[in-house]
Amino acid sequence: MSLKNILENWSDYRRTAEDGGHHDYEHMWAMAIDLNKCTGCNACSVACYAENNLPTVGKKRMMKGQGMHWLRVERYWDEPDMGGDEKEYQERGGSFLPMMCQQCNAAPCEPVCPVAATYHTPDGLNAQVYNRCIGSRYCSNNCPYRLRYFNFYSYYEESWPEPLNMQLNPDLSVRDKGVMEKCTFCVQRIRVGKDAARREGREVHDGDVITACAQTCPTEAIVFGDMMDKSSKVSKIWAAHEVELGKHEQHKSDPDLRGYRVLEGLNTDPCVTYLERVREA
Amino acid sequence: MKRYYVMGMFSNFEEAFATVSDIRSHVIPGVSVDDVTLKSPIEHPEIEEVLGDRGSPVPKFTLFGAIFGICFGFLFLASAQATFLVQPQGGKAVVPLPSNIVLTYEMLILFGVIATVIGFLINARLMTRRHPLYSEKVSLDQIGVMLELDEKNVDPIKELFKKHKVLEIREEVSQ
Amino acid sequence: MQTKDINENIAWAKINEDVLRSMENPRMGYWVAVVCCVAMVMCAVAAEIYQYQVGMGPANLNWPHMWDLYIATFVFWIGMSHSGTLLSAILHIIQADWRKPIYRFAEAMTTFSLMTAGLFPIIHLGRVWNMYWVLPYVSDRGIWPNFRSPLVWDAFAITTYLTSSALFLFIGMIPDLAICRDSARGWRQKLYTVLSLGWQGDDRQWRNFRKIYLLMACFLIPLAVSVHSIVSADFAMSIMPGWHITTFPPYFVAGALYSGCAAIITLFILLRYFFRFDEYMTIPILEKTCKLTFAIAMVWSYLNIIEFAATWYGHDMVAKELLIAKFVGPHAPYFWMMLFCGSVLPFTLAFEKLRRHLPTMFVVSLFLNLGMWLERWMIVTPTLSFSYMPFAWDVMWPSMVQWAIVFGSFGWFGLLFLVFVKVFPSVSMYEVKEMVFHRRHYHSSALANQFHRRASDPKPGDEPSKEGA
Repeated sequence: MSLKNILENWSDYRRTAEDGGHHDYEHMWAMAIDLNKCTGCNACSVACYAENNLPTVGKKRMMKGQGMHWLRVERYWDEPDMGGDEKEYQERGGSFLPMMCQQCNAAPCEPVCPVAATYHTPDGLNAQVYNRCIGSRYCSNNCPYRLRYFNFYSYYEESWPEPLNMQLNPDLSVRDKGVMEKCTFCVQRIRVGKDAARREGREVHDGDVITACAQTCPTEAIVFGDMMDKSSKVSKIWAAHEVELGKHEQHKSDPDLRGYRVLEGLNTDPCVTYLERVREA
Repeated sequence: MKRYYVMGMFSNFEEAFATVSDIRSHVIPGVSVDDVTLKSPIEHPEIEEVLGDRGSPVPKFTLFGAIFGICFGFLFLASAQATFLVQPQGGKAVVPLPSNIVLTYEMLILFGVIATVIGFLINARLMTRRHPLYSEKVSLDQIGVMLELDEKNVDPIKELFKKHKVLEIREEVSQ
Repeated sequence: MQTKDINENIAWAKINEDVLRSMENPRMGYWVAVVCCVAMVMCAVAAEIYQYQVGMGPANLNWPHMWDLYIATFVFWIGMSHSGTLLSAILHIIQADWRKPIYRFAEAMTTFSLMTAGLFPIIHLGRVWNMYWVLPYVSDRGIWPNFRSPLVWDAFAITTYLTSSALFLFIGMIPDLAICRDSARGWRQKLYTVLSLGWQGDDRQWRNFRKIYLLMACFLIPLAVSVHSIVSADFAMSIMPGWHITTFPPYFVAGALYSGCAAIITLFILLRYFFRFDEYMTIPILEKTCKLTFAIAMVWSYLNIIEFAATWYGHDMVAKELLIAKFVGPHAPYFWMMLFCGSVLPFTLAFEKLRRHLPTMFVVSLFLNLGMWLERWMIVTPTLSFSYMPFAWDVMWPSMVQWAIVFGSFGWFGLLFLVFVKVFPSVSMYEVKEMVFHRRHYHSSALANQFHRRASDPKPGDEPSKEGA
């Protein structure tokens, strides 16, 4: 068996060397988030808590920075020298940036994990194996987006007192202390979608899989889909805004195109494109 | 055949070296400098001048250990990486050379050091019984010149020792 | 004023006696020190049990501060371990014989600080009970550690370094253990008989001993450099501003030698005072150590300046922001303190009057080490506080759990060291004898002449040959 593995791996490697962009991905799950549409309502975050068995940690621990919000809506306020005013709540309101794991294709978290608990799946996802994680937390330190969260306590003991434990999603585990976790692009839903498609003997169509955040977003700001499927909605948005995977700098024909990826210059090659918010000057 | 062991204890190192020097120049026929074992409280690099260069094979062990460390280290890592399905995903190298160089380097040193220590233990005849003639004064400040002799040479050697102001002569006969 | 490294006419019996005396009859003060150290370790054990039970939360670690004092102190202890290697290996190879009376405890320090350092990556794990997963053992599931991760390199490097330095310490001690064996009684005699491996001072043994000592020294120097470079890779291999810095490996190695030398000065003065080793740990030797420390301090300061200048000149917005935050942000008092202790205070080592004043040197060496500990903290934490995402900017101060474990690590190190000085000779007897012997005979050409077989060889004391110059 191992000889077969060696040969397979090496032939993969050779193909990679011959063809720089070669990947053996079955899917490339990706997102496009239109910040023009985002109202900062946090429904996506709530949906994520419900879907992924995220523990609520309470105000005190949240203030200490020990929360578990896989999807957080970051709020930014304009600096006075950039047109904002001095008030705490500015009249034009804040800017919102919903951040979930960017599922980088060149993820900085992957090579640093000492036990290979985080790795890349053939779906183009950046997976986290809770059972393998030993909690060295290096991945979180090396995530420029700071999108990995650590179980500082056995949160499950207090988060779902009886009978709230009945609300837990049976499709995925409840994590104990000492384990790193992060947004999985609702991998359990992807699994269900792929299984259903295979049972029916067909390819996975666009719309078969939808993440909890995308499903919940009242303004449909979040679009989720497969980048390998050129007809999917998400591919079309990426293409329309001239954002491409595998680049650390996007050259656009029209400066008005709004698509960008966060911290693209670090060459992490994230799978989430944001469409810039347009405001009056 | 009976073997006689004679050891003279000297407190003056120069006298001890002169004794060995005399033996070297065949003052006593039939006794060669190769029969001399020097028991000393300190290390004398200059003693090789009189004892002759007896050599040490420890570096060979080191070389073997280091080469083994490189080969084993790299093959071990490479085979582990090549059979570990999860690790090489996303078009990255199956056997990443930069990190393997670091790890192989550590393995080189680890095995080199272990082989050196083993070579030392073997070549220095450690972990064996002490010679019955061993004197505790050797660990203090005296130097012992021990010879393995035939019976006829015992007395001339004692004479030689006495000429060089020996403090104490110890003898041992083995079967 | 004492100007000689060592009194050449010191009787060898006295050397044995002085060193062996230091290993016997612990006084009251010794037991008080042991009890203090045990109490400190107990603090850490209690904190670790609590942390084990509850999780990493009570340590006040948070998002984004996933690492803090544990890793900083880990780097600190690894750094301290470089002192012994410097003294025993580097100075051995350059034949600086003044190292001989003081290298033994420095080497012990190497081993013990590694034993302390090795605990921290384990303590800081979220799931301590699975720590063996970073080791490359053959698992029936075909799972291996990720050899790309600098943490796995750490595991390899520390294992190698601990093995090698412990062996080096032990091998270098064998002739001394034989001395102990010959004069000890009771359980000590049994222990030393086993440990001295039947050493009897044969020329064969000494010859091989000289070889192995040199070979191990040759291994240890690149090993020490690689170990701290690998530790620096934990940071330099990441993509974080303030961590991803090219000069980190030499910077870490310089810092390591620096804190190691400072610790040597501290322990030198303590041992000299408590064991009355005035004749072996002499002021001129301390002076030489101080000069060495000063030189290393200047290298360290230079690398600091390089780092600041390169960050500033490189004009990476995020890295620059972090640099400014270090100088004026919430960590600024500690950062300035580090710069003061690390770069300004060592100038006291440049003055002969101060160098020769033991209390001053003792206090200065403690502050140098404080500076070096702060350096590691200032490497680890500000980067976590101020990285790429402004939303994740946060300042966190460590909790008592972390402080207790850091505090306890000093107790653990102290305890190991206290046990060492009473069980093993903390001054190398045979090498002090060698030093005395060679210094006494350095100018005595009579002995040398006697054994020179080739007439053409230059004799010691002669003018060096002009031929071929």
